[in-house]
Amino acid sequence: MITTRVIRLGLIVGFAALVPAVFVLLAGQSPWRVLTTLVLYAFGPQGWSEVLVHAIPLTLIGLGVAFALRAGLFNIGGDGQFIAGTVVSVFFAPYFGGLGLVGLLAFLTCGFIGGAALGALVGYLRERFNASEIIVTIMLNYVAVQMVSYLIRGPMADPMPFWPRSYMIPPDCILPVLVPGTRLHAGLIVALAMVIVFAIIQHRTVFGFQSLVLGANPGAAIYAGFRVKALTVLVMAVSGGLGGLAGAVEVGGLYQRIVDNMGEGFGLAGIAVALIARLEPIAIPFAACLFGIFFAGGGALQRELALPFPLVWIVEATVIFAVAALHWALPDRKAAA
Amino acid sequence: MDLVLITGILAAGIRLGMPIALAAIGESVSERSGIFNIGIEGIMLSAAFVGAWGSAGTGSPWLGIVFAMVIGLLLAGFHALMVLVLGVNQFISGIGMVIFGLGFSSFAARLTIAAKPTSIPGLPAIDLGALSNIPFIGPILFGQSPLAFIALVLALAAGWVINRTAFGLEIRACGEGDEVARALAVPVNARRTACILFGGLTAGLGGAYLSVVQVHAFVENMVAGRGFLAVACVMLGRRRPFIAFLASLGFGIAEATQIRLQTIYPDLPYQFLVILPYLAAIVALVIGHRNVERSA
Amino acid sequence: MIPFLEARGLTKAYGQLRANDDVSFSILPGEIVGIVGENGAGKSTLVKMLGGAIEPDSGSIYISGERVTMRSPADATKAGISLVHQHFKLIDSLTVEENLVLGRPELRHGILNFKALRSGFEGVAKDLGTSLQYDARVSTLSVGGRQQIELVRALFHEPRLLILDEPTAVLPPTERERLLCLIRRLKERGMAAILISHKLDDLYDCCDRAVVMRAGRVVGSSDLRSDDRGQLVRLIVGEELPPPEVRRGTRGAPLVSVRELVVRRDNGTVAVDRGSFDLHAGEIIGLCGVEGNGQTELMHALAGMRAIEAGEIVYALGKQTAVKCDAASLRQAGVAHIPEDRLHHAVVPSFTLTMNWFLRKLSERGLVSFGFLQRLSAAKATHEAIAINDVRASGPRARMSDLSGGNQQKFVIGRELGEGVSVILAGHPTRGLDIRTVAVIRNRLVAERARGVAILLLSADLSEVWDLADRVMVMARGKLRGPVPVGETSLAEIGHWMTTP
Repeated sequence: MITTRVIRLGLIVGFAALVPAVFVLLAGQSPWRVLTTLVLYAFGPQGWSEVLVHAIPLTLIGLGVAFALRAGLFNIGGDGQFIAGTVVSVFFAPYFGGLGLVGLLAFLTCGFIGGAALGALVGYLRERFNASEIIVTIMLNYVAVQMVSYLIRGPMADPMPFWPRSYMIPPDCILPVLVPGTRLHAGLIVALAMVIVFAIIQHRTVFGFQSLVLGANPGAAIYAGFRVKALTVLVMAVSGGLGGLAGAVEVGGLYQRIVDNMGEGFGLAGIAVALIARLEPIAIPFAACLFGIFFAGGGALQRELALPFPLVWIVEATVIFAVAALHWALPDRKAAA
Repeated sequence: MDLVLITGILAAGIRLGMPIALAAIGESVSERSGIFNIGIEGIMLSAAFVGAWGSAGTGSPWLGIVFAMVIGLLLAGFHALMVLVLGVNQFISGIGMVIFGLGFSSFAARLTIAAKPTSIPGLPAIDLGALSNIPFIGPILFGQSPLAFIALVLALAAGWVINRTAFGLEIRACGEGDEVARALAVPVNARRTACILFGGLTAGLGGAYLSVVQVHAFVENMVAGRGFLAVACVMLGRRRPFIAFLASLGFGIAEATQIRLQTIYPDLPYQFLVILPYLAAIVALVIGHRNVERSA
Repeated sequence: MIPFLEARGLTKAYGQLRANDDVSFSILPGEIVGIVGENGAGKSTLVKMLGGAIEPDSGSIYISGERVTMRSPADATKAGISLVHQHFKLIDSLTVEENLVLGRPELRHGILNFKALRSGFEGVAKDLGTSLQYDARVSTLSVGGRQQIELVRALFHEPRLLILDEPTAVLPPTERERLLCLIRRLKERGMAAILISHKLDDLYDCCDRAVVMRAGRVVGSSDLRSDDRGQLVRLIVGEELPPPEVRRGTRGAPLVSVRELVVRRDNGTVAVDRGSFDLHAGEIIGLCGVEGNGQTELMHALAGMRAIEAGEIVYALGKQTAVKCDAASLRQAGVAHIPEDRLHHAVVPSFTLTMNWFLRKLSERGLVSFGFLQRLSAAKATHEAIAINDVRASGPRARMSDLSGGNQQKFVIGRELGEGVSVILAGHPTRGLDIRTVAVIRNRLVAERARGVAILLLSADLSEVWDLADRVMVMARGKLRGPVPVGETSLAEIGHWMTTP
């Protein structure tokens, strides 16, 4: 019925607008000012590049989460896989000095491998020991945070640390800035390339097809003779690899080294991005830009309106609920998760 | 080994494990009815803040705990609405709840109690007189906060209700065969809602325990994965409230051990010890894999 | 005598579909009436209305002359009507007594005192001539045992009308006898019964008269004494069926040899206990057995879906004598598998028909190259297959879940069968389908046999096995009996084997 749909849709949109507004009001600010500040910043001369800068790792992690989710696997370990990527890529970075573009690619590949190893471990534990990948990935997140904290204060520390951080990577591994005067780096190209690659993999390749079947009807995967255990491990590895790649990209493009709390929260944000994009690779960069607006804008809101940054998380949660509830208002034929 | 050391670890372990245990009690009931709530991490965080804020604001720790329970009920109720009425995937709703909890607790904290130095009155431990002085057992069992005894009672009561009452039978039917339960006129959604709300209530208690009883403060992100550890304990305990309760205390003991080890081996980088409870969770899931029930 | 129950003009529609259209009939106390019709005739909708699960759009129900409105199963119970469902409403992981209590809402309150409850159930059970193991898990019970729980639940309040929905569908011959005996005994006590079935034997063995339904309407009735069965069949089906093809093939070499096969279920119990047999080209072996005795696991093992614990399966197909025993390689080598659980195995309901075509054809050169799917070629192949196999769908881009069960099955058969297939493993291929599709599928199997294909047909329908199979095999408690030629045994013997390991 049309009217039921409209009412339900209205409720969802209303909810999405109301919840953040309430918190803004409780903080003593005007929601309208918040909205205008956000928009002006995001589309203004300083902000637009920052939005894209934040969107880059979110795109990569979101792609990974979406690919795994399409196969019925919940990869909540984006944070840990990101960290693994930073560690492995920075660890091997000194060997890639002086190798030019090849060195850069090797650097990024190391990041992918780091995250993939973690993802594969989670997949293996799930298939061999029936260990919930939700729990294991989250536990590994906390382990990874501690381990990297140790590494940048110890074996991988900067010889002259002004604060806890790792040594710097050689110049060849640095992703060049695309637009002078901004922080927007060539990681953008990496992210967009991965979007295209995964759009093709998901819809055009046997591997993508098998992962779709695994998620849509695991029994059919067995019937068709897919090697389900190997497939699960591979999907988790690829998903984790994208998270690791995001880590390497952030190091190569923004920080040139590992610092504390680098990728904090990207894992969960990646889940939000994947859900909003309805798990479609092509839609992920757009969802990532939306969150880039929130993340980059959140800093502006904190600076100009004294609104604590965690407001961004509240918005993120609201968006997740609103998007997830959409199928209640609009029966959706391509139901994903 | 040093008896004092062991006593200390066990007593501290029970204290440290209590927040996980409280959350695990309610979550095991919720999962028994067939619904996961991995968002209890977010509920605990919100409750930790609300409990601290309420406690500081009213001067009464008990009132703070009540506030925390209320927020737990509200958030769990929202999860029930999402999953049971709007048909949202329960894991996605849970993730949303976690993110909300992170945002809400930090946002509100920065605007209120963190903005200025605030003291949070804590709950005094019950003084059971002579009982507390029994060597070994005394400090471990009788030196705990009143909430710990409430937790024990809740764990046992929840198990009894599930196994011995018609209400509990209906709950189990919801979890073991909801299609059949519906066909037999069991009000599945009502039973599940009750269980989810109970889960929120105990998660709220767990969060409040953390800030009001244990740390006497609110620190951002202070739950640090305990909500997820609670879910793991429920899996390990095969959704039996009392076993999940015991498993949670086990993690508390792991954490107490890790803290003690830091002082015993000061040269060992502390990070390697901090990760012990999290690794223990993974190892426990792996070892217990023949017994673990997993529907995730 | 006033009828105990009278239905007048019951109508129920779901959108355009009239599940029940002006249905009227009556039943006297102590009478056993059979309601017969093929799948889709409207029997289950009628049962739901009589049992209080749904309300009719129009029409009325009279109990002992008084009009009643039943809005819930509880209302039906109050009116003296009890229902034994076709698909048992039991929760496997709970015990017998827990399921008994669950099935009686009036018992579900407060603290459960099972000792007191048991004595109540014992009375009913003794009446039935059975005894129940109250603290056994339902998952450990046989099908007959589970039905007994349903019966005890239904008879607990001494109903005046017992409705049984397809009660003999999953019972081996001996248990079926026992059930029909029980119904006749209850009749002697003045209880009326409605037996819903699509099997004529049930009617002739037990009922006083039959009411025939087709396409939602009552199209006739029969006293079951004077009418000849052919006429009854015509009433049920409405027209002539395509004549069955009875081309027997010539038996050739063994294509599949099974030796001392041991297969376990997921829960560790033994499903197939050292079974051995040969499947030859050009023959159909019918595999029978009470559900849950290992047939499913045997089929899955043969199809490469389940690992073998001991023993061996040797496929002698064409050039290769040994084939890697995984489902994909077997399919490539020409072993087709029609799974008994269509929705959970054979198809992906949310995918389009073309995507479902790919499911078992990922090694076909025309459809996949260098790991990339050739979607255009697949769409074309799907389009052809839909046309050839009479699959009613809007096209290759239709969603599988939009198709009816019969059309889905025709699609699966179109995908599985074809050139290069030398072995067909068919699991309940006609179960639950309309009579026309059933005939088409049976004819297809016969035609394949005539071409020299080896077919293993798992079926719960003994008459189907008798019509189609050359040899028959029985599984009971994991042990294989046979295969023996159909001509050298009888239904009675097969029934006996099915219940005695």
